[in-house]
Amino acid sequence: MREPNAIDFWRGLALVTIFINHVPGNTFERYTYSQYGISDAAELFVFLAGWSIGIATRGRDGTPEPRLRSVLRLLSRTIEVYRAQLAVMVIALAMIAGTALVFDNPLILEWHNAGGFFADPIQTVVGMVLLTHQLGFFNILPLYVVLLGIAPVFVLIARESRLLALGLSAGLYLASLVEEWNLPSWPGQGDWFFDPWCWQLLLVLGFVLQDWNRTSGTLRLWSRRLFPLGIAIVVLGIVLSVLEIRPDPMLVPDPRLLFSFDKTYLTPARLLHFVGVLLAFGPVYGIIAPRIPLIVGYLASLGRNSLAVFSMGSILSLGGQLLRFRTGGGLIVDMIVLAVGIVGLGATAWFVEWRGRKVRVAS
Amino acid sequence: MRRIAAALLLGLIASAPADAQDAPREAAPRSSGAPMIVSPPSGAAAKEAEPADPSLSPECRVPGSQLYTLAQLEAVKAAILKKRPVRVLAIGGNAAPGASATYPVKLETALERAMPNVDVVMEYRGLQGEIASGAAERLRSMVADVEPDLVIWQVGTHDALARVELDAFTDALTETVRWIKSHDIDVVLVDPLYTASLAADAYYTSIVQSVRTVATNEKVPLVLRYDAMRYLAGRSDKGEGHMLGQQFRLNDLGLRCMAEHVSRAITLSLQQPDATGSAAAPPRETSGTLGAAVAPPRP
Repeated sequence: MREPNAIDFWRGLALVTIFINHVPGNTFERYTYSQYGISDAAELFVFLAGWSIGIATRGRDGTPEPRLRSVLRLLSRTIEVYRAQLAVMVIALAMIAGTALVFDNPLILEWHNAGGFFADPIQTVVGMVLLTHQLGFFNILPLYVVLLGIAPVFVLIARESRLLALGLSAGLYLASLVEEWNLPSWPGQGDWFFDPWCWQLLLVLGFVLQDWNRTSGTLRLWSRRLFPLGIAIVVLGIVLSVLEIRPDPMLVPDPRLLFSFDKTYLTPARLLHFVGVLLAFGPVYGIIAPRIPLIVGYLASLGRNSLAVFSMGSILSLGGQLLRFRTGGGLIVDMIVLAVGIVGLGATAWFVEWRGRKVRVAS
Repeated sequence: MRRIAAALLLGLIASAPADAQDAPREAAPRSSGAPMIVSPPSGAAAKEAEPADPSLSPECRVPGSQLYTLAQLEAVKAAILKKRPVRVLAIGGNAAPGASATYPVKLETALERAMPNVDVVMEYRGLQGEIASGAAERLRSMVADVEPDLVIWQVGTHDALARVELDAFTDALTETVRWIKSHDIDVVLVDPLYTASLAADAYYTSIVQSVRTVATNEKVPLVLRYDAMRYLAGRSDKGEGHMLGQQFRLNDLGLRCMAEHVSRAITLSLQQPDATGSAAAPPRETSGTLGAAVAPPRP
């Protein structure tokens, strides 16, 4: 078990934020940073996943592990994430159906996209396995499956040239924005909630920046110099989101995705805002870590076990949604939901690490 | 002919007339307030003795006052008059076995049947999330992407499920409807479904009411799904007491009828004379052409 570090800490914070934001309407939602900027926790989560790939595919001394091992490592991770998505989806559908049955309330079956499954299980179960049918709030793992699936390409290219990997990634990103490439939803019309062809840029950016940061001090130097710019972007983001100022997608020039604020396509405004957040908050961990060791320890433990914690968080947040609906919500219920979530996420992380230790001792 | 064909298709031709007459004149008072914009064929005043709208399939017949409020659909009219295809974006899903998957297809068929000379191009999108937080933004992207003449929007379910604050919901809905209309795109709203287990839930009915208020204030047609399903619930009550069965079947029926109900509200809205809206759209001399395109309400 590694010591708390900045990556795990921020990833843990993203996980808690995603949990809270996935119980829409709850009191604490307005205290998450997602409400005060153009980008949100999803960007942070994917960027840090890229950064972690950089760490995982090299030894401690920085020597890259054999190519085949990196490829197999990423493939194995892809399968793990895919398996988690299927398990979480089945549990979520059963929670929705069970709640509808117990409370004799078919409205609940209309839960974000779940209706498709109950209306047409024959097609939808195929869509679930193909990841083309996603429940609302359960769209990050399918994105992650595709990103990890294509990551080996970028990892291997980056061994030859980081610039080439980043260039290819940015090219794919721009082409997808202009041409509006996305993976289709099926059954039904429409596209994925998170467009993998756009979001891959964030993963590759995380990976490349980690590598660059490892080999030279230039990145750190420039992130210090650009710190004021980061602050300015963050302040601008707060102003825009509080005043609800954003471009009208019907009025922006073509290609419209270059100009609008769109989460699905990670449009440039969101990407720029996220880079601003990185610049502004990069130094924060070093300042606060010694002061709040308990919180740092807790969040880092979540970050170390992000897949299990995220999966459990998805299920707990759905449970929170159902509970809020059944009880009518209110501060007390919201506090219970938050408390159960925070303890549940922490317990999940603890359990995974406990099980890991057991396995190691046994073998 | 078409009506007979439709009835045959449903295998209900024999029971049709009886059904229409036996339909209980259920009082089902409309939840207070919301003035109707217009309510043909017979208007709100005739509510008590109002027969179910006979142009609908027998199993779906609901009196007009419990099925829709009407308003102008300028963009659709313009598309029809220019004889170009009408682009429709249907938003929002539902969960009845066999109903949801075919809803866009049924809707397209129903619209083309009601408007024989009009080509309807249907796009259908699910919309996750609450319009009070985020989903309204995604809806804008969808509209920008599809550039429809008409948006048919089943709205309110997710916000009701998340129990978002009523004011936040109403504001977000108003703002979004205004935004759509500001781009010369028509909107038809469809309010949330009826289910007996939520009939006494004040919050839920206030969300339904809020959709009505917005439709009235913003002068957009509304399909009264809640009332229509409640009416059908009263009619189809066979007194089966076993857990779940009745509610779930009702849901099924209400949603199967929805394509037909939406289509009816749209075709009647298209027949609205231009002068009725208080916004006083300039009268068109071409309304005769439109009348030819839109089948008249069948007696």
